Amino acid sequence: MAILRTKTQWLLLVAGLVFLVTLGLYVSGEWMNWLIMVGIYTVAAIGIHIMTGLCGQFSIGHSAFMALGAYTTAILGTRYGLSPWITLPLSGLAAGVGGLIFGVPALRIKGFYLVLTTIAAQFVIMWAIRQPDWTGKTYGLEVPAISIGGSALTEAQYWWLTLGLAAITLFFAKNIQRTATGRKFVAVRDNDLAAEVMGIDLFRTKLLAFFIGCFFAGIAGWLWAHYLLRINPDLFTFKLSLWFLAMIIIGGMGSTSGAVMGAVAIMLVDKAVPALSPVLESVFPSLGFQIPAALSLILFALVVMFFIFLEPKGLYHRLERIKLYYRLNPFAY
Amino acid sequence: MADVLVQGLLVGGVYALIALGFVLVFKSSQVLNLAYGEMIAVLSYLVYEMLAGWGLPSWAGILLLVPCGAALGYVMERLAIRPLLGQPFLSVLMMTLMLSFLLKGVVVLFWGSKSFTLPFTPHGQWDLGPISVIPGAAVSFLTALVIFMLLTILFRRTRVGLSMRVVAADPGVAQSLGVRVRQIFSLSWAISGAFAAVCGILVGMVFTVTPVMGDIGLGKGLPVLLLGGLNSIPGSAVGGLIIGLAESLGSYYQPGLEEVIPWLLMLVILLARPYGLFGERRIERI
Repeated sequence: MAILRTKTQWLLLVAGLVFLVTLGLYVSGEWMNWLIMVGIYTVAAIGIHIMTGLCGQFSIGHSAFMALGAYTTAILGTRYGLSPWITLPLSGLAAGVGGLIFGVPALRIKGFYLVLTTIAAQFVIMWAIRQPDWTGKTYGLEVPAISIGGSALTEAQYWWLTLGLAAITLFFAKNIQRTATGRKFVAVRDNDLAAEVMGIDLFRTKLLAFFIGCFFAGIAGWLWAHYLLRINPDLFTFKLSLWFLAMIIIGGMGSTSGAVMGAVAIMLVDKAVPALSPVLESVFPSLGFQIPAALSLILFALVVMFFIFLEPKGLYHRLERIKLYYRLNPFAY
Repeated sequence: MADVLVQGLLVGGVYALIALGFVLVFKSSQVLNLAYGEMIAVLSYLVYEMLAGWGLPSWAGILLLVPCGAALGYVMERLAIRPLLGQPFLSVLMMTLMLSFLLKGVVVLFWGSKSFTLPFTPHGQWDLGPISVIPGAAVSFLTALVIFMLLTILFRRTRVGLSMRVVAADPGVAQSLGVRVRQIFSLSWAISGAFAAVCGILVGMVFTVTPVMGDIGLGKGLPVLLLGGLNSIPGSAVGGLIIGLAESLGSYYQPGLEEVIPWLLMLVILLARPYGLFGERRIERI
């Protein structure tokens, strides 16, 4: 089955792309920063969607793999002077290999214990990055800017770069669901014993899911590094890994568009924090300066809890129900 | 050198106590309460507030904290975990993680980034022969010993302990035998909460009350838990001692290694023997 089946879908896709591209011309300032971060996190969210949503290999270590990608491009760029376009596949590869290493246990331990392994991966990788001098320890590294035609990219141009990479990643993810590999992933997620009995090589399939998922995390890390122009280990926290997992849970596990929706939703919640803080500060003046930090934690927790209680299948499921209602109205089924 | 070993053992006792809180909840409701570390943090800050902010005497604050912890555990179970009975484990896992964020947010909201030492922290050093010992750690270790014995008695000799073990083994069978499964869940979370209160006092005494002390639950509790086995009380004792020792030996030979040693040990045990040294259940492998 094709990804885009009807003329309406093609039209919507083209219109959507045109809209997103022209956003680069009109948006600026903090909203442009927000858009670029949404793009970067979408790439990573699609990575975790392939690993966790499609293949069922739960991972709360995703931001550590992003760190691998980011540090690869930083080190190769500053010490060896490689052009960012060359380090793009390399940082994906580095993160992918890192994912492979921590995915090898995935064959022997399942579900819940795999989650704990990936939590360990998060902390061990970040500790390992902090140790040697050539990673800049806790100070971090500078990252050379991407330049086309001699001058560094502007914000709008960086948005188009991010958009392009996110579109390619999204296309890749949607396409993989149509192939045999994608079906293998889903089979392993649903019941890996039955999948093995049917002849699917569990080892290869799980490792491939880890590799692809972490490859995209590496690409997201590359994007982030070249956007910030300076990276340090404190960017890649355990909380960020939880954000990615929350993105696919909120968006809908197993749905590619859900990953995108989840990324947008979480980033909107993050944007709501500085908007809500002044209101709360005026209500509780004694807790003044602590409110933004506390609010970002509490609001994120409450939003995810809301989705777990009321809409465990995510935003995509809700969208499908709305479309179904529209199609069947006034009938109920 | 002997100092290092003894210190490691004593700190290991505290770690074992933290892991015990996890074991309590897992043993009866099969849920890994990843919010336990933050529960310890909140209760630790609360006891500081009671002692220093409201001016209660030390013994009153400590005695008052335990029912507060039990109430916290009970409320968490009723509001956040019970509605998710029967859902896939990822939902419950995310729920406990979100609860930990919520509790951390509460700590940041009321106490910001301030660190405190608890007023009843003993000072100085005791000297037992050639070894000098930090009294806070020694007191924690002794308390941990007492609590371990109490809990073992609870689980082995009392009817409530028996009910908990039945519920953990098979909730359906337990219910058909007349055990009130939901009450047992609430009870185990309440006991775990009371436990978090005791841990809060001890951890606050040994490690001071800081905003990041919640990470100790994940950072030390999980490795100890996995080393010993998820539903084994002697396992968490042994696991705690091993990790405490490994940590102090590691930091003796190379400073900076102590953060990562528990995680590395956890990875090793996950690869070699995922159900831990004393764990009961076998995990399916393909």
